[in-house]
Amino acid sequence: MIGFHLFLLASLILTLFPFVWMFSTSFKPSGEILSGTLSLIPISPTLEHYRNLFGAVNLFVNLWNSIIFSLVLTILSVILNSMAAYAFAKIQFPRRERLFALLMMTMMVPGQVTMMPVFLILKYAGLLNSFAGLIIPGSVSVFGIFLLRQFMMDIPEEILEAARIDGCSEIGIFWKIILPLSRPVIATLAVFTFIGAWNEFLWPLIIMLKESNYTLPVALANLNGQYNTDWGLLMAGSVLVVVPVILVFLTAQKHYMKGIAAGAGKE
Amino acid sequence: MRNDIFPASRCNILLKRLICLFILLLFSILPGTSRAGTEEKILQFWAMGSEGKLIRVLADRFEKENPEAKILVQAIPWTGAHEKLVTAVVGNLAPDICQMGTTWMPEFEAMNALEPLNSRLNLKNGLSEADFFPESIKTARQNDVLYGIPWYVDTRVFYYRSDIARSAGFNKFPETWMEMYKLCSEIVKAKRQANQPGYAFSLPINDWQIFLMFFWQAGGELFPQAGRETVLSIPEFGKTLEFLKRFIDEKLAPVAAGKDMDLLAAFESGYFPMFISGPWMISEIIRNKPALEGKWTTARMPMDKKYTSFLGGCNLVMFKGSPNRDLAWKFVDFLSRPDIQADWYELSKNLPANRLAWKDARLAQNSHMHAFREQLEDAKAPPCVPEWEQIADVLSGTMEAALFGKTPSGEAAEAANRNIARLMRVQPESMGKTAIIIAASAIFLLPLIFLVIFFRTGPGDGNRSHRTPPGMVLFFLAPAIIILVVFLFIPIVASLFASLTNWNLYGLSDPSKVNFIGFDNYRRLWEDPVFWVSLKNTLLFSLLGVPLNITLSLASALLLNRKIVKFKALFRIGFFIPVITTMVAVAVIWRWLYNPEFGVFNQILKTIGLSPLNWLSDTWLALPCLIFMAVWKGFGYNMIIYIAALQGIPESLYEAAEIDGANASQQFWHITLPMLRKTSFFVAVMTTIGYLQFFAEPYIMTGGGPLNSTISVVLYMYQHAFKFYNLGYASSIAYALFVIILAMSIIQGRIQKRLEGSV
Repeated sequence: MIGFHLFLLASLILTLFPFVWMFSTSFKPSGEILSGTLSLIPISPTLEHYRNLFGAVNLFVNLWNSIIFSLVLTILSVILNSMAAYAFAKIQFPRRERLFALLMMTMMVPGQVTMMPVFLILKYAGLLNSFAGLIIPGSVSVFGIFLLRQFMMDIPEEILEAARIDGCSEIGIFWKIILPLSRPVIATLAVFTFIGAWNEFLWPLIIMLKESNYTLPVALANLNGQYNTDWGLLMAGSVLVVVPVILVFLTAQKHYMKGIAAGAGKE
Repeated sequence: MRNDIFPASRCNILLKRLICLFILLLFSILPGTSRAGTEEKILQFWAMGSEGKLIRVLADRFEKENPEAKILVQAIPWTGAHEKLVTAVVGNLAPDICQMGTTWMPEFEAMNALEPLNSRLNLKNGLSEADFFPESIKTARQNDVLYGIPWYVDTRVFYYRSDIARSAGFNKFPETWMEMYKLCSEIVKAKRQANQPGYAFSLPINDWQIFLMFFWQAGGELFPQAGRETVLSIPEFGKTLEFLKRFIDEKLAPVAAGKDMDLLAAFESGYFPMFISGPWMISEIIRNKPALEGKWTTARMPMDKKYTSFLGGCNLVMFKGSPNRDLAWKFVDFLSRPDIQADWYELSKNLPANRLAWKDARLAQNSHMHAFREQLEDAKAPPCVPEWEQIADVLSGTMEAALFGKTPSGEAAEAANRNIARLMRVQPESMGKTAIIIAASAIFLLPLIFLVIFFRTGPGDGNRSHRTPPGMVLFFLAPAIIILVVFLFIPIVASLFASLTNWNLYGLSDPSKVNFIGFDNYRRLWEDPVFWVSLKNTLLFSLLGVPLNITLSLASALLLNRKIVKFKALFRIGFFIPVITTMVAVAVIWRWLYNPEFGVFNQILKTIGLSPLNWLSDTWLALPCLIFMAVWKGFGYNMIIYIAALQGIPESLYEAAEIDGANASQQFWHITLPMLRKTSFFVAVMTTIGYLQFFAEPYIMTGGGPLNSTISVVLYMYQHAFKFYNLGYASSIAYALFVIILAMSIIQGRIQKRLEGSV
């Protein structure tokens, strides 16, 4: 029993070791990082990297950009995906299953191949260098629709029928029944989308031209020289990127864990 | 509707608040309209990485001297800078001035993006070409047109521990190859006698820059004559490989050269008393290793026939169509002034391109700088051809194969010659007109026919319990479908179309250069050995990784689902954290764990008495290393799915089994596993799709090496799309992968159906 818990704890420590190390490195002076030893506790802890970070990056602007990008994308993707998912789950229309199968097939095309065409489309739409161009292409995802639809299919038809008999419109059903009941899976999608956007690097870099529009990961990548890396600074920056993600995850955790399993229930 | 059943009112308040917030946010994302008027004379200047921060100091001084000018400096991260610049040119969003790596120049010239500067140079009292190092000016010139002004130069010299060299009998750094070889053997001999670990020399084995230096020193040339079958001096090429290989064979240099963090520590401990690096290393050593003061210095390259080193650095370029070209030139001129160049050296430690700046005391009196000044007189830049990125790739690959002992040096030289000659061959001509029409209509008709058949053969729509007005359906579906069509379906069809063309760098800037080449890309793919290697790696990765991932996630789910476990949430979150963490942070940590000299894994091996391994630099181990890391990062996701599914199994089943006398393993095989079948199918399909698109791990950790042992299909596609800009070829790779994934999913579906039928 104790041995079992010790085993679990050991594997947990193994899993978390890289993060602990990242935190500890961000507090070590540069000479100590480069000493070639792997101590977890800084011998002479320092805040210099965090101070440098505030000096090197316009932190609050980049943080704000990241928040706007991730938050608007998350909200938009929840709205659009849940509407489509509702249609696929609960509304009868011709060739519904086939259309859905077609969507699923697009998941098999590697995303990188569409990057250049999407960029060119945004160029012709005049949306480069704007948050709209950054957000809209990613606001609907096939995976999101799939995840929500699987969950919504399990909502009993009788409830919807009862509502229809009471004179509730489709929009009303969606708004008053489907959305509240789908809260766990919506939380899942929201957390996924938020974290994905928060960590995204290449797309914001390509779309955004002004430095005042950079998101946090892009701004942090600027800390690297071509050949030399300030490891302490990089680690402090990574901590800064990771901590909000962990916080978001922790707060949504309860809903999230339920929702993540929803997609798997049905084929 | 009864509200007491659906507590919608509370939800409504929350939703209303969310909507308010959303509208607020929407306003802040509308495209900005702050395009400045031309009379304000704003200059857009893009500089890379930390240099983009440092340049502000000089920009402020320029603004003080020229009050009418306002310089907007934009820092572009080095990672992704190439992608960023190319897309900016394609999108007509390029700045007025930009810092550009010397080897990137030809690509942007080929894209017809750069402003010629000849007429602005060599004027009275102005800048002249003679002010710069001649090799450096060459990087900015194409067909006698000058497209850039050298901003800073960069060359490579030897860094060595003078104390260790002295005890090996060398009071100064060797002048020739043979002496250098002797120095290395002496150092290593002394180490072996003293039973010390380490090598003489840190030699990266797949670095085309390092290779080129020695190749030039041996008297070799790239493109000795224009447009012939022989594109490089084959005997010298072989000789260079042979020479470098001796260092590896005799263990004077390691197979896995020090990178990143460990190099400085290894230099301090004497593990690597010699390495080749650029000027930035001087301040790195002084800053981080003050204890080494007086025990190290720099030295010019040794010679075989010449002392040549590699010349790199950056030029300043102006883009065509910039409205403020005169002012932009003024700024370029300002940055080239000797005093400003010396100040820039002090700020950024970049070597001045203007030779007059070297008279400045800050450079002239720095003893570590002498080697650089001397070396710059004999430093060579790689040839200026748009295909350079691909040629460099061939050089690195050849060097790696020869030094690993996979290919004999002579053969490797011949092969490199063949491969580079093939790259330089003219692009295939366009097909005839009728062929184009047939191909074009086929490519538009095929998806159409596919769609029609696809939708006609579908299963029935089931019985309709009620009719939904079409307007309603549209209301829910249209927004998502419109976005998907514009940003997913059209790009997918477009890239399918692109896979039948030679769309490349030239075609990006000038669409008239894009030609239909039919199925040539696919034919080339069929014959491309690297593609097959990448396919093998991808399949291997999936075959090993998917079962490992599923087993581990199921095992941990079963463990955490046991009633005796305390703090379940803690463990769940702990195992899940790797899933949500950015790959960049994960990669840094894992590279450190796998580090051959100081990494945790090798320290563990050493303590239990085993010999250390070259994890990521070993052609056999590298892929398993990445698989291990990917499984570590991803298993928490499937674990959560399994936990939820386990909780959904009715308790009564287990109770009944217990009454029947079934033991734990029987319960697992006859209840748990069958009840998890649907979940497992979902997990297997999604994980397989994900693993077949394996990309981030090799991209960040190994770049596909060593010897392509970790290159995956998507990584190979990415390289062609965003490193070489062979967008047509890249698309054909993507579609080959698509067909494979589709086939796999169909097979998995069949297996599942059969299993269902049998139970």
